[in-house]
Amino acid sequence: MDTIWLPPALVCYALSAAGFVAGRTANRPRWTEQAVPLLGAAVLFHTLDLVIGALKAGNIPVTNFAQSLSFLAWLTAIVSFILISRMRMQVLGAFVAPGVLAAVGAAMLLMRRGRLVIPESLRSAWLPVHVTLAFLGDALFVVAAGVSLAYLVFESRLKAKRPMTPVGQTMPSLEKLDRINYRLLEWGFVMLSLAIVSGALWAEATWGHFWSWEPQESWSLITWLLYAGLLESRIAAGWRGRRAAALTLAVFTVLLGSFLSVSLLFPGKHGGSFG
Amino acid sequence: MDEKLLIAGINHRTAPVAVRERLAYGDGEIVATLGRLKDRSPALAEAALISTCNRVEIVGVAKDPARAIDEVVSFLAADREVDAALFAGALYRFEGRDAVHHLFRVGASLDSMVVGEPQILGQLKLSYGYAAEAGTAGLVLHRAFHRAFSVAKRVRKATLIGRGSVSVSSAAVRLAGQIFDALSDKTVMLMGAGQMAELTARQLHAIGAETLLVTSRTFDHAVALARTLGGTAVPFENHRPYLKIADIVIGSLSAARPVLEPNDFEAILRERRYRPIFLIDLGVPRNFDEQLNAMENVYLYDIDDLGAVVAESVGERAREADKAEAIVAEALASFMRWMDGLDLVPAIKDIRVSIEQLRDSELERHRAWLAGLEPAERQRIEALTRTLVNKLLHRVLAGLRSTGAGSPDPAYTAEIARRLLCGELSPEIPALAGTTADLGFELDFESDDEEEP
Repeated sequence: MDTIWLPPALVCYALSAAGFVAGRTANRPRWTEQAVPLLGAAVLFHTLDLVIGALKAGNIPVTNFAQSLSFLAWLTAIVSFILISRMRMQVLGAFVAPGVLAAVGAAMLLMRRGRLVIPESLRSAWLPVHVTLAFLGDALFVVAAGVSLAYLVFESRLKAKRPMTPVGQTMPSLEKLDRINYRLLEWGFVMLSLAIVSGALWAEATWGHFWSWEPQESWSLITWLLYAGLLESRIAAGWRGRRAAALTLAVFTVLLGSFLSVSLLFPGKHGGSFG
Repeated sequence: MDEKLLIAGINHRTAPVAVRERLAYGDGEIVATLGRLKDRSPALAEAALISTCNRVEIVGVAKDPARAIDEVVSFLAADREVDAALFAGALYRFEGRDAVHHLFRVGASLDSMVVGEPQILGQLKLSYGYAAEAGTAGLVLHRAFHRAFSVAKRVRKATLIGRGSVSVSSAAVRLAGQIFDALSDKTVMLMGAGQMAELTARQLHAIGAETLLVTSRTFDHAVALARTLGGTAVPFENHRPYLKIADIVIGSLSAARPVLEPNDFEAILRERRYRPIFLIDLGVPRNFDEQLNAMENVYLYDIDDLGAVVAESVGERAREADKAEAIVAEALASFMRWMDGLDLVPAIKDIRVSIEQLRDSELERHRAWLAGLEPAERQRIEALTRTLVNKLLHRVLAGLRSTGAGSPDPAYTAEIARRLLCGELSPEIPALAGTTADLGFELDFESDDEEEP
């Protein structure tokens, strides 16, 4: 149930991603500059699409995998846009925008026609709270993975004595990338924790039990433990820089795997094919 | 009529510093010097003096540039009390288009020792300010300098000419900026007191590094250097523990063997909790074992690595310089069109006056008849004649501007137009006499039945 606003959003995402990537590879700072407002425009179109979707669904529009993917991509784009415009992290665009583009493109292809409605049993004030927290946590982890990837690329170039040539590009230092990675993980972890707590409270209110070990719950607990370990390794063992970036990417792979497999293979009550 | 821009001077390519310093002027002397120059050089209509460590140039405007340059040269020799022969071989002379081109290239930092360095624009602005203060800058210099400023800005904006590091120390500083975010909370440690190491430390300090440690085999050297740089001296025997807190270590010791090696550095890294450390090895032979670079969060650059970074930046700038040259060429063409248009100004004035006079005399001739008309009709006739004159003038001037500016000698074209339209044409102008003969008819200069009032 895509709306007329999704295609223009997709076009803006595509142009923006192209601008970020080409701006870096061809060393054209101006293209990067122009990619930023394009990303903003994409987010605006995407917001319209989601608002209309929400009105149709009667609640937050996450009725199926395609919609969930679109929602996650939207949050990721917003987090990236804030980092790019407020923290001069233009470099992030090249690493995250293509992923967002792919997610929105896939969502559009998978989007099923027809009127998708959230089942009566799940319509609750808990739904938007729980879902937004969970997806915001995921989005922060996606961006953290993008930052980590950027870190690894730049770090290896610096080690190889081929410092990130891009003359004229605004280049965040390794220290800044590492710090932002840490902040994103912290906030992502907070969101994930709150999502789990809110989900448990909601389950208790609806079904009378906090926890039922269904696939999404189990995987959430696993990723929660992994991210907790990641943060702990930094705080206690002082793992930072390259090691922290590599671990962030490894844990993110687990998160991505669980997101895809739970949504597509083991749809419990989280699986989301209500349509 | 026909004023030309001229430049006479020497720069870092034509003259060694021993010659440049003899001719150089301090900022405080320039206004007075321009005053003296104006008195001594009657051929110069306008003048400015650019004096930096890399160049001494007089930018002037004159109808006879060759003579003006000769006057400038003898002025410089006399004023600086040097033999003109000392710098005659190094002196370059530019006139007209070449002078404008040179001025624009200087402003755009294309003529600098380090192409793309940003200081020259400020120096050029100062020179212009002094000329304005001395009252030696006129219409042409104002325009030329302002154009040079805007070309420089455009070059800076549209190319990457000012980016990259073109010295070993600035490359090291740039790399530090790629590893660390702010340097204010970082500690720099100097091992050894080499000149390049000191320069690098100074630059790091200039961009924010506050804590500086200095160690050297001779403690007195360390103390002296620490004092000049505002740091703390550390005895060489005790330098080890300080590596735990140092974030940037610059080595310039004379040592046969590396002073830092992987097997003992591992312990230091652990104690640092793997905070990144940037090792800058300026020593030959090298102070830091190259294997250190493979360790976690250690970034080691030796003198050759830094040299490679510099070479890359220089190459980058050369590529960007081509783009900059294109921008300069475009601005040059537009400036020359303006200069040519300037040549047309007196002719255009004469033509306007002459045609206006023609209209006035015609109206005068029919004054009696006009007086008998209704006021509305009289006004209409006046308006009609005015429009006719304006349209005619507009057509002539537009034609003159477009063909005149493109012709090899715009002043000559303008002169012909002036004589044609002001009724002064005579067969004395040989080229034109030839033209009319070729056309197979003669212009009857006497056939005008009106007389000039």
